[in-house]
Amino acid sequence: MLTFLIGLSDFPTFDLIGSRPMGQTDGFIKFNREMPKTRDPKERINDYKEIYPPLNEEHVHQQSARCMDCGVPFCHNGCPLGNNIPDFNDAVYHGKWEDAIRILSETNNFPEFTGRICPAPCEASCVLSINNKPVTIEYIEKAIVETAFANGYLKPQPPKARTGKRVAIVGSGPAGLAAAAQLNKAGHWVTVFERSDRIGGLLRYGIPDFKLEKNVLDRRLRLMEQEGIIFRTNANVGENVSAKFLTEEFDAVVLCGGASAPRDLPIPGRELKGVHYAMEFLTQQNKRVAGDRIFSGDILADNKNVIVIGGGDTGSDCVGTSNRQGAKSVTQIELLAKPPVTRNQETNPWPNWPMVLNTSSSHEEGVQRNWAILTKEFVGDHMNRLTGLKVVDIEWQVGESGKAGFIERAGTERIIPCELALLAIGFTGAERGNVVQELGLELDDRGNIKTTNYLTSVEGVFAAGDIRRGQSLVVWAISEGRETARAVDAYFMGGSQLESKDLSQVRISA
Amino acid sequence: MAEKGYEPVGSMGDDTPLAVLSKESRHLSNYFKQQFAQVSNPPIDPIRERLVMSLFTRVGASLNVLEESADHTRQIHISQPVLLNSDLAKLKNMEDQGYPYAVIDCVFVADGKPGRLKEGLNRICEEACQAVKAGKRILILSDQKINSGHAPIPSLLSTGTVHHYLIENKVRTHIGLVAEAGDVWEVHHFATVIGYGASAINPYLALETIHTLNQSGVFQKNLSDREAFANYQKAIGNGLLKVMSKMGISTLQSYQSSQIFEAIGLSTEVIDTSFRGTISRIEGLGYDDLATEVLIRHQLAYDLQSNELPAGGIYQWKRKGEKHLFSPDVIHWLQHSTKTDNFELYKKYAQKINDQTREQLTLRGLLEFKKRKSVSIDEVEPVESIFKRFATGAMSFGSISFEAHTTLAIAMNRIGGKSNSGEGGEDEIRYEQKPNGDWERSAIKQVASGRFGVTSYYLTNADELQIKMAQGAKPGEGGQLPGDKVDEWIGRVRHATPGVGLISPPPHHDIYSIEDLAQLIYDLKNANRQARINVKLVSQAGVGTVAAGVAKAKADAILISGADGGTGASPISSIRHAGLPWELGLSEAHQTLVKNNLRSRVTLQTDGQIRTGRDIAIAALLGAEEWGVATAALVVEGCIMMRKCHLNTCPVGIATQDPELRKLFTGNPDHVVNFFRFLAEDLREVMAELGFRTVNEMIGRTDLLRVRQDVDHWKVKKLYLSPLLYKENAAEGVGLFKQIDQDFELERVLDWKLVELSREALDQSTPVTGKFTIQNTDRSVGALLSNEISKRFKGKGLPEDTIHVKFRGSAGQSFGVFAAPGITFELQGEANDYFGKGLSGAKLIVYPDKDSSFKPEDNIIIGNVAFYGATSGEAYIRGMAGERFCVRNSGVHAVVEGVGDHGCEYMTGGRVVILGKTGKNFAAGMSGGIAYVFDPEHTLKELYNPEMVDLERMDEADKVEAHAMIEKHFHYTKSDPADWILENWDLASELFVKVMPRDYKAVLLKKGVVVAEKVVK
Repeated sequence: MLTFLIGLSDFPTFDLIGSRPMGQTDGFIKFNREMPKTRDPKERINDYKEIYPPLNEEHVHQQSARCMDCGVPFCHNGCPLGNNIPDFNDAVYHGKWEDAIRILSETNNFPEFTGRICPAPCEASCVLSINNKPVTIEYIEKAIVETAFANGYLKPQPPKARTGKRVAIVGSGPAGLAAAAQLNKAGHWVTVFERSDRIGGLLRYGIPDFKLEKNVLDRRLRLMEQEGIIFRTNANVGENVSAKFLTEEFDAVVLCGGASAPRDLPIPGRELKGVHYAMEFLTQQNKRVAGDRIFSGDILADNKNVIVIGGGDTGSDCVGTSNRQGAKSVTQIELLAKPPVTRNQETNPWPNWPMVLNTSSSHEEGVQRNWAILTKEFVGDHMNRLTGLKVVDIEWQVGESGKAGFIERAGTERIIPCELALLAIGFTGAERGNVVQELGLELDDRGNIKTTNYLTSVEGVFAAGDIRRGQSLVVWAISEGRETARAVDAYFMGGSQLESKDLSQVRISA
Repeated sequence: MAEKGYEPVGSMGDDTPLAVLSKESRHLSNYFKQQFAQVSNPPIDPIRERLVMSLFTRVGASLNVLEESADHTRQIHISQPVLLNSDLAKLKNMEDQGYPYAVIDCVFVADGKPGRLKEGLNRICEEACQAVKAGKRILILSDQKINSGHAPIPSLLSTGTVHHYLIENKVRTHIGLVAEAGDVWEVHHFATVIGYGASAINPYLALETIHTLNQSGVFQKNLSDREAFANYQKAIGNGLLKVMSKMGISTLQSYQSSQIFEAIGLSTEVIDTSFRGTISRIEGLGYDDLATEVLIRHQLAYDLQSNELPAGGIYQWKRKGEKHLFSPDVIHWLQHSTKTDNFELYKKYAQKINDQTREQLTLRGLLEFKKRKSVSIDEVEPVESIFKRFATGAMSFGSISFEAHTTLAIAMNRIGGKSNSGEGGEDEIRYEQKPNGDWERSAIKQVASGRFGVTSYYLTNADELQIKMAQGAKPGEGGQLPGDKVDEWIGRVRHATPGVGLISPPPHHDIYSIEDLAQLIYDLKNANRQARINVKLVSQAGVGTVAAGVAKAKADAILISGADGGTGASPISSIRHAGLPWELGLSEAHQTLVKNNLRSRVTLQTDGQIRTGRDIAIAALLGAEEWGVATAALVVEGCIMMRKCHLNTCPVGIATQDPELRKLFTGNPDHVVNFFRFLAEDLREVMAELGFRTVNEMIGRTDLLRVRQDVDHWKVKKLYLSPLLYKENAAEGVGLFKQIDQDFELERVLDWKLVELSREALDQSTPVTGKFTIQNTDRSVGALLSNEISKRFKGKGLPEDTIHVKFRGSAGQSFGVFAAPGITFELQGEANDYFGKGLSGAKLIVYPDKDSSFKPEDNIIIGNVAFYGATSGEAYIRGMAGERFCVRNSGVHAVVEGVGDHGCEYMTGGRVVILGKTGKNFAAGMSGGIAYVFDPEHTLKELYNPEMVDLERMDEADKVEAHAMIEKHFHYTKSDPADWILENWDLASELFVKVMPRDYKAVLLKKGVVVAEKVVK
């Protein structure tokens, strides 16, 4: 690929794909998908370090050879960021790591995050997965960015010129950070406001260290600071910083507050001691790993029977953290039925996201998983301490209306003993703090902030990420941040040269 | 190109918009489509017939051609037109040798104000004129002087404009044009700039890019810059030869300023000023619009905030890149809807495609139906009667797997549509129906220039015989199946040696004119009179006239194929830059046929990126009563548009012969049937809405289409599509669709007498003999008889000599064409062209009339192109043959006493013994078989083409083989030369040269055992 020719005036669409077979044309026939071996679960539950050993370049090279450089790269379509996956696979195959990080950085500000914690919709839509196992795209992505950091390819790149425009970004999760990076790149002065004591949002306190070590986050934040972005922690907009102040002091405000209001489980016994939201539990542990002391009352799993309610990624994180804290037993329950091991080709065909049983690394570390279980009641002792969870098995059926419903299976009601119950059943939307009220923002039907091309109902105030689209993936948050940055840049400048995942740079305006 | 030295190859069709419809800034040369030869004259094979091609070019003043003086010679000779920077410097350094030059800066003010580009052009024209007045001999048009305030004038535009301005001022011949161009890098760019007047081009930015790439270690080979540049020059040079040859032009000097392009979407002002005389039917952009396109790229270069160039996306689908009809969603919906028989999901797919076409991806997307009184869908003809109008595209077994090929055939046979064999022959096991009623036989058998596996039996097993004059993806070009893809199976089906590469020549060597085409149609009709004869053309300006000629040549059907059609492997510049979309060609063909009252005699068919019922309805209204679908049908079978067909690594088992990959094929005839039913239902819905009960009523009703008014993109608003919707006023009684059968006058053919004679042979295999006089109006003798044999006795035919017929006289064209096993024709006299064409196992003997006085070995007694595409049989010719003897022979054993130029060209099998002289370019492109040439004067080494063969001495086994053939020759013809050679065998056998293809030898060596066995025998 020729994408690394810099600044040649009349060459913009020099599309040479196909001119040279990319990668290895028969790599997918010769090599199988192979992920690096993880550290032994028995060993790794004793610490909070990442579960993968350091990179093996030869292994990455071989895995990159499996990319087929498809004429219609479904992975590139499946990636919410529009990563040019065949292009960076090819660069890796040819050992051109510097080109690879350049191609990757073009669409993704933080490959070191997505390379670790993304569920990888790209791999789900990889053409190879039609009848084989997909290319290890996420692993290659991580390899690229880690190699780049190790070799010093990623240096601070402050903008050459400043526009003088000032932007306030509220929230420092992946959406806020991506918006900040992009707007700074376009030459605007960016200040990020974070209510917590550290920058990073969910990346900092939501995702356990064994999945994303925080030095990875700090490394990126240092770069961003060196590029000129200002970070303000303990700045809770709407509380100790007024939203009005922002709109007055800044030329634009971008709200990236996330969808952090957790979904509750309003069943009897909810108030018992030992029933907590997953996020409270996870945040505390992340703080401990960072060396902080917990003042608000420890939530710990040690020597307890733990029950995790909810079968998603957050639930999985609770399982991993509980095991690390020394839980006596960990049980995870899920309302939905156990998904099949292979996808249903009729109802759930490629390249859609496969609705199949997903076993995470945390599951490997020990857990009892149960599906099709309805929670009836938290049971406690005389001290209001949780002692068990009353559940019943259910059976899912498709009703006459075509909608799925369930019935309880008679005689299956029982109590699972537990001393700690963690609610990992999703989020309901933005925490409607004072910002919404103070600025008078309109909300949409689902309670998210209503926007038109990322602009809220208030002039100069934009919104990006979960606060706008509801709970989603980190990769979507980064995408939101990037697209919003472009909208803000265009709002300032009348047009924008910042990348957008679906807009050609040589398009002819209507 | 810099790394490998050849133009990149790609596969599948071009599903991106025309340049004028694109919402991306496109290179100006993309507005120009290359023209190509079809039927009216043959294209050339620039590789195997390289001797007629030249890239030589001259720079300088040309003087009056009617005078002669020493000054006439004062021009700079350049061996090829791609100038390196050092070459340009040399050119400039020749100033003091009497070649003064001027450099003109081809830039314009980049402030976006109207008229700037025109101003720039006016300035450079003036400067050019002044340079001529100042006595300059060389004009260098340079776009080097760009900066943030000045954008480059596209080199094609500056060259064309200056060229025409100088002509207008009658000074063009005083000066040579050289472009120093940053915007010229691929073959098509060179072709256009040369085609509009430049003698040579210095592509400095491309060269600089090659240098940078080389520096950064992108090339896998360890190349010096010099080698990389040389590779690039070679690749561009060969690409230019290919572009020229597809029009039948041999030399770059004739190509220069020839303007052999059709422009799509430029305004009359631009055409008349800068590209005068170019065919341009659709009005479009003016100078300011072209400036806008340039400025988008110019500004981006100065404002870009990233270090990356935009991703492109012309060939590979990219989210940010050019739009493609086949996006991931569309592929998924199409596959899932047909797999689960879900018409609603199909509608979603169709909606997306139709929306995309409306989003300016295709010309038809800019059209809409006029409102008409609708009818109930129940009154519309049923899907079953629509099915027979469907065909799948021509894809050969070889380019796609057996599984993929037969799945389409089974599906089409189930619904009564037609699948197409492609040009690779067909395995005879497919001719027998399966116990469950399924049939793998392709209803359409293609006859292409390679004639692979075209036997009497093959032709007999068809409902339609399609003569492929051109292919949308690479009109005017041939093809090549590399030896490693020719496995045992494909080798057998194509009547070729496994492991030996197979070449499809660009031209049909039996079609150099419309009369020749008429002859081939006649041959095929004789070979299977139940089959419809279809001629496949590719859309381009003038295809209407060609179609009229083809209709008069008595084709039953004409296919107008869109240039955007698919391919298993073609040079990328051909996929994208040659030919036109079907809308233009179909409309022209239909109206021309109506005008000449020929329309009612032929069925018009069209194909090329057809995807939905709406596409089909528009095709019908523009004149096509039948429609072909290929790519979409492949997608239904599982194709995911890898565009890797040429690499044999198709991961879904379609475009591959790899047994492991073929196992991954999941296509199913049911899904394909579902797809065609959806298409038919979709069409019926459109028909009901438009108030049509039958398809026939719709044909050619262009009056029911109009250009959409709701398109607001400025680029499209400038388009003037009315020529597309022109409707010829048909006189009363002039049919608008096929109603009348062509009259081939088959009742007059000599073969009826042969069939009569052979009654017992046909019924009981009893030997028969007969004698007939013959004259040159007796054409295609033997084809109809062979058809009867093939029907009864299949491929193996009758035992040798069962039907022995002696003729006396002068045989017409195609004597013994497709003649089947068991036939022996003995001709006393002489024969016209195409003797033994497609010979399928028969024995042909010819010797001069006993009353003739000439010396046979010195005179031609059979015409040109004998045994073209012959697959088996024997032949003994007492006399000389014309040119291209045994061209593409793959199995015939022939003895002849001399041949004209290009003997044994593209031969892939068989044995040829030549007892006399050969012409030039002997054995060009010969990849298989052996020729033994009696060469006492050692002239063959001067005459043969050494590209693929070696000259050797005969070994003992060869001598045994040649001796046996010559003995038979003497036995049948009483030949004097044969007599002498046999009498003096010890001496004579040493004077033979064995012409041995290197590929073939390598394959034989691999099978050493087999060779050894032969020697023992």
